[in-house]
Amino acid sequence: MATNPMHQFNVYRIGPEIKIAGIDLSFTNASLFMLISALAISIFLFFGTKEKKIIPSKISLIAEMFYNFVAKMISETAGSKAKPYFPFIFSLFMFVLFCNMIGMIPYSFTVTSHIIVTLLLAIFIFISVTVIGFVKHGFSYLKLFVPSGVPKLLLPLITIIEIISYLSRPVSLSVRLFANMMAGHTMLKVFGGFVISLGLLGGWLPLGFSVALTGLEILVAFLQAYVFAILTCIYLNDALNLHH
Amino acid sequence: MSDLKDFKTRLKIEKDKLKKRYLENDEKRGSFMGFALKLGTELVAAVVVGTIIGFILDNWFDTKPWLMIIFFFLGSAAGMLNVIKVAKRIQEKD
Repeated sequence: MATNPMHQFNVYRIGPEIKIAGIDLSFTNASLFMLISALAISIFLFFGTKEKKIIPSKISLIAEMFYNFVAKMISETAGSKAKPYFPFIFSLFMFVLFCNMIGMIPYSFTVTSHIIVTLLLAIFIFISVTVIGFVKHGFSYLKLFVPSGVPKLLLPLITIIEIISYLSRPVSLSVRLFANMMAGHTMLKVFGGFVISLGLLGGWLPLGFSVALTGLEILVAFLQAYVFAILTCIYLNDALNLHH
Repeated sequence: MSDLKDFKTRLKIEKDKLKKRYLENDEKRGSFMGFALKLGTELVAAVVVGTIIGFILDNWFDTKPWLMIIFFFLGSAAGMLNVIKVAKRIQEKD
């Protein structure tokens, strides 16, 4: 039913069913929109960096703006040691941003409004940051859980709390992105439903709200991609520059 | 002629300075909003993770429901710790 506000989040199969070792690997609309955003990023950056002119074209200006934005974000939050991780954070930021923005187009599907997508991204970040921390610092990386200047009696308690706080990182990272995208899109659909049900007389107010909410959602789409990337930088900073 | 040139370079330097200041201000505001949005989920996530850890340990040691209750409170403490860390980071930026 088209009036159900949750209908937009349905995942359905496109094309034939593919089953490998009992796992359903069929091509779905979610995979389609991930592919679309990956292709859109590739095309955008390809044309943005193709021409080498003294006066840049508009598309290359935008591409350079994104580059500068991410480069500045990394150098400010994680320092110069994080330079080698620029490609990863840049592609992460662009992927989340394009998934969010393509989701704003009517009749499209928002990949990041599914927790499995964001949770996998977050777990991947979490594991790689932990591995980087152990590779760079060895076992002294565990000092992250033992803050300095704590009385001996409280130390076990504080350590457990710090470990829980560390483990909560991927959860908060993924839930934030997923909840923001899902709540926003549901709200848009609910207000759209109000427009229809209130008809020509009362429908103008929710229509106005709908327009305003669309603007807000575009802001949220950008902001959440930014927050996702900057938190990755902060976690990377903790792993690279151990200050306890 | 040299006066004009001198003036032009000075103008350019001032314009650059102004631009830089605007950029800095914009960034600060953006990151503030990002951090403000962060606080809520940060608090909840730690509670959820703590409770889940307690639940799993309970199943291991057959101590239902004590570890879950203990870890719920530890998780709440971890959530507050998260919030304090974020707040510290905001103050550092100021």
